[in-house]
Amino acid sequence: MIWVTWRQNRAEGFVALGVLLLSSLFLLVTGLQMAHDFQQSGLSDCLAHHTQSAICATLAKAFMNQYSPFLPFASALVFLPILLGVIVGAPLVAREFEQRTHQLVWLQSITRMRWLSVKVVVVLGTSLLAALALMVLLIWWYSPFSQLIGSFNQVTFDFAGPVLIASTAMALALGIFAGTLTRRTVFAIFLTIVLIVVIRIGVEFNLRPNYEPPIIVTWPLVQGDNPATVGTQPPPIILKTQDWNLGQGFMDAQGNKTGVFRCTGPQTQTLAQCIQTNGYRNYLSYQPANRFWTFQWIETSIYLAFTLVAVGTTFLLMKRRPT
Amino acid sequence: MSYAVETTNLSKRYGRTWALQDCSLALPTRRVAALVGPNGAGKTTFLHLAAGWLPPTSGRVQVFNQNPSTQLKAVLPRIGFVAQDHPLYRSFTVEDLLTFGRRLNPRWDDRLARARMQMLGVPLKRRAGQLSGGQQAQVALMLALAKRPDLLLLDEPLASLDPLARREFLRTLLDATVESGLTVLLSSHNISDLERVCDYLIILSASYVQLEGDIQEIQRTHKRLIGPHQESEAIASVHTVIETSQTARQTTLLVRTNGPLFAPSWEVQEVSLEDIVLAYLSQQAAEHLSSAPSPRTHNGMEVVQ
Repeated sequence: MIWVTWRQNRAEGFVALGVLLLSSLFLLVTGLQMAHDFQQSGLSDCLAHHTQSAICATLAKAFMNQYSPFLPFASALVFLPILLGVIVGAPLVAREFEQRTHQLVWLQSITRMRWLSVKVVVVLGTSLLAALALMVLLIWWYSPFSQLIGSFNQVTFDFAGPVLIASTAMALALGIFAGTLTRRTVFAIFLTIVLIVVIRIGVEFNLRPNYEPPIIVTWPLVQGDNPATVGTQPPPIILKTQDWNLGQGFMDAQGNKTGVFRCTGPQTQTLAQCIQTNGYRNYLSYQPANRFWTFQWIETSIYLAFTLVAVGTTFLLMKRRPT
Repeated sequence: MSYAVETTNLSKRYGRTWALQDCSLALPTRRVAALVGPNGAGKTTFLHLAAGWLPPTSGRVQVFNQNPSTQLKAVLPRIGFVAQDHPLYRSFTVEDLLTFGRRLNPRWDDRLARARMQMLGVPLKRRAGQLSGGQQAQVALMLALAKRPDLLLLDEPLASLDPLARREFLRTLLDATVESGLTVLLSSHNISDLERVCDYLIILSASYVQLEGDIQEIQRTHKRLIGPHQESEAIASVHTVIETSQTARQTTLLVRTNGPLFAPSWEVQEVSLEDIVLAYLSQQAAEHLSSAPSPRTHNGMEVVQ
């Protein structure tokens, strides 16, 4: 059955391998060049010794100017798992029903549960190995950027750890599930995309910043009631490169985030007085760098949970609807 | 006598429609049986139940004294199945399909498979999707036969083939049954193609079994009688009348004889197998149209219509 699975999916396998090799080649070539520049220019030393000199800033700026155009490429690679779910996952079972070959394979000497298990394990297994390779390569490739702009941000978080592997597993499992449910490749592809997009947007934008309550720092908007000082107060802390800045703004006395000042006092009231009486202040919300791996593992668990549910439902569906 | 397939009140329902009802039959081993009935009569459902593909709604099916839906692992290697339209992996070459069969079946006979493909002139390097319809059917049959099954089930194997391909397909099938102790059950909506190869007949209509038995026996016991109107009652009291047609001067009966036929005033004729099948199928339809709407016949009528 392993051979059969390979034979059935080898076309997709070759395409996926080709894409992986091309991406790897690109990452290797550009990555080696970046690493070389990073060392030779002295930027690496600068960052290691926390030198806040003008030369270091110039070097960093030059490096970013030259290599930041490559960054979108790294974030584009995050779509590879989705592609895998659509190209390999969705047709895995759906195509058998569509071409009615399930009537051929289910009447060989193996049970259909075994047939499904081998298919799922082989495809998931190889894809996870590929995702692992891609993850290692991406982390290495990104390491100069990591020291300059950090890895704890919405984009880099997707590929800077096991989340990449778990999201690949989930995309595939959702594809297989969709194919088993609809039994039509086209519907399955559509359903796979919808499921992946809905789940990932939900997780990345609603859950990810809040796996642990963000740290919120507040400080006064104004010094005394001196109108000249409104909005000029510096924050009491400076975020490190590796911290995840969730944004800053204003907060009222009750701790509600707000974009505007509601001044209900007499006409003569100045802005500074309004700020004072309503208790408006600055806030900065962030996740500290040391939570990075906790967050990675939490999100990995979430995607793996979706994977398990999708695979489990696939097996149930196959058992319930035998024809 | 040992049986390849034995069913007791076997029934299968899809939603509210009965696909098969109270089907009790026993197919002896080493027979080549035709399962005949109109489209929608439950033939495919019956074959799927026998292959353990579906669990029955009620009743029992046994293949070589094993229950295929609970003992599938034991039953599957003993069954060869050629599904309707003989599906194959279209991107696989014939060679790939041989590997497929070899890897998935413990009893696989590679020599037999290769010999058959060579005999039929099917190129091993060609993809299944590029073979002619007749060749695809032959490859599907080869996959089922090289599995060395004890029971071979074929679902409408001839439906999509041209006359020449039909003849060749049946020849391959016949060769295989002669060589081994294989039991064959093949479904068809047309008996005329199968008369040459089959020695056993099961008529399935409107989800019921109408007739089951050895073909020679069936032909021996079914007669067409032509004679006077007034004596048809007397005939019907001894023998089973399947079909009656009347003209102004005489009555024609198709009867199943229950014992010796003594009817001096009637002209007795042999009946072709096709006419017997048609008589049973039209009898079934007529019964449903005239009977009171009990739930069973009601469902049957839906299928007939």
